[in-house]
Amino acid sequence: MAESTPALVDVFKEKAALVAAKVTEVADLSQAMRYVVQISEEKPPCELLAPEPGTQLGPLSENNLPTRIQPIIAAPDLDDEGFFALEKTCKAKGIRCIRNGLHRYLAGFDVGLVWAQFAIADSGTCVVSTTDEEVRLATMICESSVLLLRKSAIKANLASIAPQLRILQGTGNPESTTFITGPSRTADIERVLTIGVHGPLELHIILLEE
Amino acid sequence: MQPDILKSSAAYHESLHESLENTFLRKTLDKFAVDYRANRTNIFLDVPERELIAQIAEDRDRSCKRLDELYQQFKKEAEKRGAKVHFAETADDANEIIAQIAQDNKVKSIIKSKSMTAEETLLNQRLEKDGLEVTETDLGEWIIQLRGEPPSHMVMPAIHLSRDEVAEDFSRATQERLSNDIGKLVKVSRRELRPKFIQADMGISGANFAIAENGSIALVTNEGNDRLVTTLPRVHVALIGIEKLTPTLEEALTALQMLPRNATSQRLTSYVSWIGGGGAACKNAYGQRQVHFVFLDNGRVKIAKDPLFSQVLRCVRCGACANVCPVYRLVGGHKMGNIYIGAIGIILSYFFFDKDKARILAQNCVGCEACSDVCAGGIELPRLIREIRACANDEEGSPRVESLISSVMKNRSLFHTLLKFAKFGQRPVTGGTPFMRHLPHIFAPKHGFIALPALARHSFRERWGKICPSVPDPQKHVAIFAGCAQDFIYPEQLEAAVKLLAAHNIAVDFPDAQTCCGLPLEALGQRALKVEVARQNAKAFDSLYYDAIITLCASCASHIKHAYPKLIESGEDAFRTQAFSQKITDFASYVHDELKLGAESFIASGEKVCYHASCHLCRALGVRTAPRALIQSCAEYVPAAEEELCCGCGGSYMLKFPEVSSQLLDKKLEMSAATGASRLVVDCPGCIMQLRGGAEQKGMKLKVSHLAELLAENMKP
Ligand code: SF4
Ligand code: SF4
Repeated sequence: MAESTPALVDVFKEKAALVAAKVTEVADLSQAMRYVVQISEEKPPCELLAPEPGTQLGPLSENNLPTRIQPIIAAPDLDDEGFFALEKTCKAKGIRCIRNGLHRYLAGFDVGLVWAQFAIADSGTCVVSTTDEEVRLATMICESSVLLLRKSAIKANLASIAPQLRILQGTGNPESTTFITGPSRTADIERVLTIGVHGPLELHIILLEE
Repeated sequence: MQPDILKSSAAYHESLHESLENTFLRKTLDKFAVDYRANRTNIFLDVPERELIAQIAEDRDRSCKRLDELYQQFKKEAEKRGAKVHFAETADDANEIIAQIAQDNKVKSIIKSKSMTAEETLLNQRLEKDGLEVTETDLGEWIIQLRGEPPSHMVMPAIHLSRDEVAEDFSRATQERLSNDIGKLVKVSRRELRPKFIQADMGISGANFAIAENGSIALVTNEGNDRLVTTLPRVHVALIGIEKLTPTLEEALTALQMLPRNATSQRLTSYVSWIGGGGAACKNAYGQRQVHFVFLDNGRVKIAKDPLFSQVLRCVRCGACANVCPVYRLVGGHKMGNIYIGAIGIILSYFFFDKDKARILAQNCVGCEACSDVCAGGIELPRLIREIRACANDEEGSPRVESLISSVMKNRSLFHTLLKFAKFGQRPVTGGTPFMRHLPHIFAPKHGFIALPALARHSFRERWGKICPSVPDPQKHVAIFAGCAQDFIYPEQLEAAVKLLAAHNIAVDFPDAQTCCGLPLEALGQRALKVEVARQNAKAFDSLYYDAIITLCASCASHIKHAYPKLIESGEDAFRTQAFSQKITDFASYVHDELKLGAESFIASGEKVCYHASCHLCRALGVRTAPRALIQSCAEYVPAAEEELCCGCGGSYMLKFPEVSSQLLDKKLEMSAATGASRLVVDCPGCIMQLRGGAEQKGMKLKVSHLAELLAENMKP
């Protein structure tokens, strides 16, 4: 498959914005990590949707729910170098960084950071290999979902991605892949579009040059 | 679960009134219908809609021919990936398999993401019988579960409810006083359901696709609940209609370009989850997860073998057929299906639920073809609905009025004599105007909403000898196919057309042996008779001689074009019928595309004219430009809102469902009046009957004309 062109990157950015995803371009991974920490710092405290014994609770949220005092960023599929760099920045800010055991925080955590394997420009969609259950949880339990995406991995449209999808979803082992297009949403009450139902309340996509 | 409203025809009519008087429902569905149209048009700009539909139809048809083979392949691949695969022949079998899985795994609580198939099998009731707690987690499904109601739409199950009603239900469920703020209500479901997700032992989902090549299913959703359902509990069961099997990823990706666009005007939903296998290799909080794929037959394998009905298996459950249906818009989903809603709901009710009830539902289709026009699988929905009516008639014998009409129509001269006779019978009741003030007793009450037209003093066939124009050196030879309505009620429309054609040097014939096109029989479900009248008409015309056979009735045109070739497929009549069908041309297309008449041929009258696009012309024949361009060439064309919305006539429909028909009519007249036009132009006598009658009844100053009349009036001398 041909390298993606600047035009494809533009289409992707436009279409992702249409579905309420926030797209940012960064020069390198360390800039990406700084951006992730910033997202965590700027968001309201994470609401706990279920009891989590032993966790320190902050004031009630506007939905009358207890909140997490120490923010959590889950980054299960970063390589060691990336994870340790992130962890270091986080520590200085009082943020907890985890890469496994996400099922202990099903009541909700602040940020889930994972790699998107590739993307679909025409619909602003990121494709994430979610065979690793930690990755799956990182993209569904968090309040802010952050996806890392290389510009070169942007494909044109749904019709053209079967070969790439087959690489992820044709191994013969248990496998799971998720297409993510914007944050979770519903229009089930009076057809009024509302963002943030059972999944993330917001979706960030960080575009990396390489 | 079966709504009682379907117990009898009378009870059904009773319940329709309830819906029609529910102003919230009416307003919501009205707005939805208009928004949906606009959003749909936009979202299809970047993909080839017709090609996608054709491709999906082809892919699905091919898959449905080899379901068994695909099932075996899926099973092998899924098992390789650690999943268990089950086959259930009936709904009960599927429920038992799933109840057994729950029992084997000591399951106590279950969370579910949306599955139409599970609603089809009434799975929740079965599981609850075993004392299991089952919680729906799709927001709309949860709302109706709290209310104990069936869904009223396939994609938006709670579309019939207001925020106030939802706030009340949630307040009751949470024992809190909640406001009706929609954002907050959504957060209530997030908060209330998360603990259920965490505690649940088993998650049940449906599947939008089952891919044989890799034993994976795909789920297409927006809320993210399906991801939690299939990930958090230690057991995941997917209940899958066997027709969802597809050989490779390619077919699924094709359908995926269509499904979200058609369902919710999205390029893609928030999530598409591809799930292949489970078992020990897939870790979760409990060490491992079991994955079970349960395939449901429940009659599908048999349907797949039916030459006509197999196309229902192309359905991707996008809900579009309800979204565009003018009847759905008026009466809502509870009166337009059962679990499966809209056109497909009527049909599937016949196969999956109760044939008698489906037959009552099938009557409530006006036949406007709006649904087949947008269907993701290109299913001929109205045709199948008519077939169901026909089966019902074959099985049980026609109702009184219908069999009377059909026995009359069998005999052409009897039919024509009867119409003449009716003409004398009606004189006293028309009060000297061209409308009947009172209806003959044969029609049921409730039809006071339009003034029905009187039969013409002299039919077109009687007048033909006198008006037949002489064209000494014609550039073309055409024949007129009159159709009953114009022959007997509106001969002046045909005369206007003849005048226009002759003025442009076209020789016009009117073969006398022609009869009714047979469409009314189709709507009544009379198969054998349809074939007979088709044969008669094909014989009446020397089709090879004429350059075109012109009809001013869009309904006749679409019926002859689409149904005739399928009615007579073999024997010596087949060729004749094909030739006849091919030569049939609607008036607007002939004048615009063949004669190429434009502004230079007419006087510019300056009159403000609006247009109603008849279902059978715009959708069935795809004729959209010609009539508008012709209006513009002699008058000021002022576009009306929703020009393609059905006027509610639908042949005998207005007699069967006057309550629905009159509401459609009101809407249409309002939108026409809003343009400020003094005249409404239409290309179908059925629509004219409905619209002119309605305008007369309301005392409106809106003239309703056939396009031919407008053009003939404004011909250059
Ligand atoms: S033909 Fe028209 S009335 Fe009948 S189901 Fe389809 S959209 Fe509804
Ligand atoms: S019948 Fe066609 S339009 Fe209706 S739900 Fe199925 S695919 Fe969609």
